[in-house]
Amino acid sequence: MTPLQFEAQHAAAWEELDAALAPSSRKRRSTPADRARIAALYRAACEHLAIAESRSYPVWLIERLERITSRGHQLIYRQADFGIDKLRRLFVIDFPSAVRAHRLAMLIALLAFVGPLVVIGVLAYVDPSLILSVQDAASVEQYEGMYGDPEGPIGRRNADSDWAMFGFYIRNNIGIAFQCFAGGLFFGIGSLVALAGNAALIGSTAGYLTWRGFGANFYPFVITHGAFELTGIVLAGAAGLILGHALLVPGRRSRLAALEHAARRAIVIVYGMTAMFAIAAVLEAFWSSARWVPAPVKIGVGAACWLAVIAYFLFQGRPSRGRRDPR
Amino acid sequence: MPAPPFAVESRLDTRYAVETPEGIALWLRPAGVVPRFYAYLVDAAIRLFFFSISFLFLALLGKFGQGLALVIFFLLEWLYPVAFELAAGAATPGKRMLGLTVVMDSGLPITPAASLTRNLLRAADFLPSFYAFGLLSMMFRHDFKRLGDLAAGTLVVHAPGGELLRGTPPPAPARAPAVALTARAQAAIVAWAGRVTRLTEARADELAEIAVPVVVPRAMDGDRVAALVGVAHWLLGRR
Repeated sequence: MTPLQFEAQHAAAWEELDAALAPSSRKRRSTPADRARIAALYRAACEHLAIAESRSYPVWLIERLERITSRGHQLIYRQADFGIDKLRRLFVIDFPSAVRAHRLAMLIALLAFVGPLVVIGVLAYVDPSLILSVQDAASVEQYEGMYGDPEGPIGRRNADSDWAMFGFYIRNNIGIAFQCFAGGLFFGIGSLVALAGNAALIGSTAGYLTWRGFGANFYPFVITHGAFELTGIVLAGAAGLILGHALLVPGRRSRLAALEHAARRAIVIVYGMTAMFAIAAVLEAFWSSARWVPAPVKIGVGAACWLAVIAYFLFQGRPSRGRRDPR
Repeated sequence: MPAPPFAVESRLDTRYAVETPEGIALWLRPAGVVPRFYAYLVDAAIRLFFFSISFLFLALLGKFGQGLALVIFFLLEWLYPVAFELAAGAATPGKRMLGLTVVMDSGLPITPAASLTRNLLRAADFLPSFYAFGLLSMMFRHDFKRLGDLAAGTLVVHAPGGELLRGTPPPAPARAPAVALTARAQAAIVAWAGRVTRLTEARADELAEIAVPVVVPRAMDGDRVAALVGVAHWLLGRR
């Protein structure tokens, strides 16, 4: 068969596939019959491409077929894994089980965070001038107004509203968490540094404010959103450590393959961690700062949140005892 | 003696083929630093423009608007590329303008998890400043992956399409070659004929001079280009 005969015989099918793949026709609703037709045309075009290549048909013919097939490939293998079911499964099963599956990374991240937090907190309480080696004097001065002043919402410079602070918490805190995760690419060191750095910041503030006698304002303020934010930052660091571990100890994979594999597991934790920070931002902006809620109520609600978060990671998403997951 | 392990990597050709389940090869053309830098500039300008406009309007809403502006800034900063990469075309407006698109390195369409991974790890590429690590990674790798691409298993490629370099040969009377031609020789002549319209006459003639003495020796004195294009037509099936 000559190339011209080949082209004449199949050109109609190629044109039909080309038209079906055009963006304009993809916007219309397609029926199952349409989709089956596209799949059949695509498989035929792949076969024609293989034939054309093996028979050394002219380049323009091969290029034309390569274009149609590569566009078809992109369309046919597109993954549609959004959707409510996927999202529900993420929070009911995947996220808490991913956290449990990486116990060691969680433990190391927890130590890297809580260790500096406690040590620097105690040091700043004993010697309050120490806070100046962690933070600059201007921001320390602001703490007086944020946590001392008996009027206006707690935890902010007097003029900021709930909404403005909500935006600030989303942008600033989630950004920090993402950076904490990304730092894991440097053999985990970036994550550890970010965890310790944030712990130093929080610890020195807590120690200083306790020494100043503002503890009665500060601790009821942080306890509720802390349940989500402090666990969130540890999770972000742990997700980074999973990447770093894959690079350091790739096991039976190449370093690169190990990194890709680890990233696919770590990103599940990043999904969940982001949601936790969003919850924390809502609480911090609208609940934690409210003066009208008495401190005992905040501590009660905060304690309940801590218990709920811990229980979620310990128990949620385990297969029920009667029918064990065959995996 | 076995071939040195760097033999494949030391190629200059950056294209690489991935095989699909249908048994055909997809050719991916990874995009280098320069087009991706331009695409980044375009995206940065779009983000800045959009943020400034929304900020102007949100400023009228007072503190609520200020908070909303910060949320928008967060979304533009981290999730702008994700949203566009998961839409049809798999490219941010800047990449689309430069004819780039993002795919998995298996040639498959990008998955949501991979898109999020490569865009959150942008923070690592940015370090120590101005995308220095990302730039180093791209320059040392044959497929121009930055760190985020390495972890996500993604690839920024030149989108298939654009102008075809070879069209159909111009019209000429078909004539049979004087000798039997191998498949490779046939393909070379037909490919040349497809390029004739894009070459200058002198260059087309110069190339024809290589083949004509063997393929159609009697046309050596006449119009060599027309004669060889005629052979191409004959090979294509116009006899």
